[in-house]
Amino acid sequence: MKKLHFLYQMRLDLSQMVQDHHFLIRCIPMEDDNQKIEQFACQITPADTIDQVQDGFGNLGYAGAVRAPHDHLQIQAEGTVQVSGVFRRESLHPMYRFQSAYTVPGDGIRRFLKETEEELGRLPGDRSGLQFMMNRLSGRFVYVPGVTGVKTRAEEALTGGEGVCQDYAHIFISLCRLAGVPARYVAGMMTGEGQTHAWAEVWMDGGWYGFDPTNNRMVDETYIKLTHGRDFADGAVDKGCFLGFASQTQQIFVKVEETA
Amino acid sequence: MRELVGHMEGINRLLARYGVKFGIYKNKEFHEQLFPFDPLARVITAEEFAYLERGLTQRVDALNGFLADIYSDKKIVKDGVIPEDFIFSSKGYLPQCEGITPPKRIYSHISGIDLVQGKDGSWYILEDNLRIPSGASYPMIARELTRQASPETFTHTQLVDNRNYADMLKEVMDSVNTGGINVVLTPGRYNAAFFEHSYLAERSGAVLAMPQDLYVEGNRLYYRQYQGTDQQVGTVYRRISDEYLDPLCFEPESLIGVPGIMDVYRSGNVALVNAPGNGVADDKGIYYFVPHMVKYYLGEEAILKNAPTYLAFYEDDRRFILEHLERLVVKDVSEAGGYGVVFGSDLSKEKLEELRQIIMGEPRRFIAQEVIDFIDLDIVDGESMAPRKADLRAFVLSSGTTRVWPSGLTRFSRNPDSFVVNSSQGGGFKDTWVLSR
Repeated sequence: MKKLHFLYQMRLDLSQMVQDHHFLIRCIPMEDDNQKIEQFACQITPADTIDQVQDGFGNLGYAGAVRAPHDHLQIQAEGTVQVSGVFRRESLHPMYRFQSAYTVPGDGIRRFLKETEEELGRLPGDRSGLQFMMNRLSGRFVYVPGVTGVKTRAEEALTGGEGVCQDYAHIFISLCRLAGVPARYVAGMMTGEGQTHAWAEVWMDGGWYGFDPTNNRMVDETYIKLTHGRDFADGAVDKGCFLGFASQTQQIFVKVEETA
Repeated sequence: MRELVGHMEGINRLLARYGVKFGIYKNKEFHEQLFPFDPLARVITAEEFAYLERGLTQRVDALNGFLADIYSDKKIVKDGVIPEDFIFSSKGYLPQCEGITPPKRIYSHISGIDLVQGKDGSWYILEDNLRIPSGASYPMIARELTRQASPETFTHTQLVDNRNYADMLKEVMDSVNTGGINVVLTPGRYNAAFFEHSYLAERSGAVLAMPQDLYVEGNRLYYRQYQGTDQQVGTVYRRISDEYLDPLCFEPESLIGVPGIMDVYRSGNVALVNAPGNGVADDKGIYYFVPHMVKYYLGEEAILKNAPTYLAFYEDDRRFILEHLERLVVKDVSEAGGYGVVFGSDLSKEKLEELRQIIMGEPRRFIAQEVIDFIDLDIVDGESMAPRKADLRAFVLSSGTTRVWPSGLTRFSRNPDSFVVNSSQGGGFKDTWVLSR
């Protein structure tokens, strides 16, 4: 068991005044057998209304609105979470067996799986096989920010050869599902300073294991899980829409450290 | 009925003036076109209607049972009646709706079931439309205009009045209302079905709302009053498709949605008519399983038959499809509105072989059906009559009890060689008369 303290800050700056701004922020650590929230506080400014909501995947969030003209939105969440265990015992929702919008495989992903199968001598269906596949992906896909965007699909990312954690997760999920192993997308935070993170959970032995293909390692007690879904679209940590023609710049800062 | 032919031009002129139009996308361009009315109604006897009513009620009850099951316990999947593939990889399945119990557990409040009558007189279900089926307003207004044009026709023919559709619709909205007013939510006046939206709102006493008229606050939905106090909304008959309904839940770039409406719905503080997520029960792949649903949920044999259908997903069926492709009609399950439909008999040898390869590559995507030789109905063609293929969209309304509207939209193909009657493919329509005895 580890006790992690986290800070999540997000600031959205708008180039012009906008109004009727609706947002959905899901920076609340998921509570399940593996994660317990000890303390949590969240501030969203400016906001006229804030409601706590839950979606069909079980993700919690704050939905709210800013009606009057404004040029920024700021969120700060901070809390302490107990993380224990790396395996989430849970029955499988069948939707995670099937490819979703971001993970539909093309020739590149099919070829990658076929080559993995040839090198491994079998289809990567168990833990060690999937670790082999993760390691192989890590050797062929390079972490480069700014090349891909929030709309980049797994196949497109793999073909380009460069991307960020979201792309690593999508490619890995697509490969798992193609190999017949159910997988889902997780958004969260990991120990250290930086951005929010994304990884994959893979269902086997009656529950979920976390694979972090970006860092080529298994997810352990230094990670805090926020949301899950079939892919990025389901698990996005923040979403919003407003009336106005402003362009937006978003800054995110995340800090997670172990505490006593 | 023949006396109505003389009124055809006048009625069509009035329909055009009222904006009875249909919008179609062809080659990625949007065109609006009139929906031509043919005055020779389809006539259904009282006895035949009673039979259809039993069959349709049963079918819609089973479909509602299926939807309630899929978004909760998923028993029909666990019991192996329907393979997971046909549910959870369907575009119409929306996990965002998991765990939501809509008021009265009704998902499909307004179902548009398309049928055809074979030359042997038996009826076949062509497809179920459980999202937001349109079309009821056309026979409604056509009946009204023909009654005005030729009142004597209706004193000489004993037929069931179909002008109760608005009352049935109001009953549906009232029965699931969570407290507040009924609204019909339209994307706006440039939507091709705007006539229907405004007409149904007016006739059922609901408020016609544009997306910007509605907003969410404190987990409740409100209708903005530009003067006075805003009103809480209890039922939204929304004519916006699922993916555009709430930008915070579905398509984030939707400009015609109401942000947060899904949260209010999840909390049970508003009814959405029809429920989002119904697409999982009306795609062409799941169609095959509807008779199984009737048996599974109701313990009854299906009264109304499906057209004989083969599922490329099953090996035996696939072999049959590949061997008999030239006489079958192949449908892409992810398409709607008459798109993605190919008749084997229209294809050259090379094209048939190409199609076989496509089917083998993605069997889950295709179903094949026997071509039903369905009856022709006469339409007015210049100075004479001409037979054309026609189907029937029956409207089934569920408000706790399930009722079939004693009328329906009869659509016909204007092209004498075509079996495709969808209005998006340029067909016309007729009124549907149900005789009272």
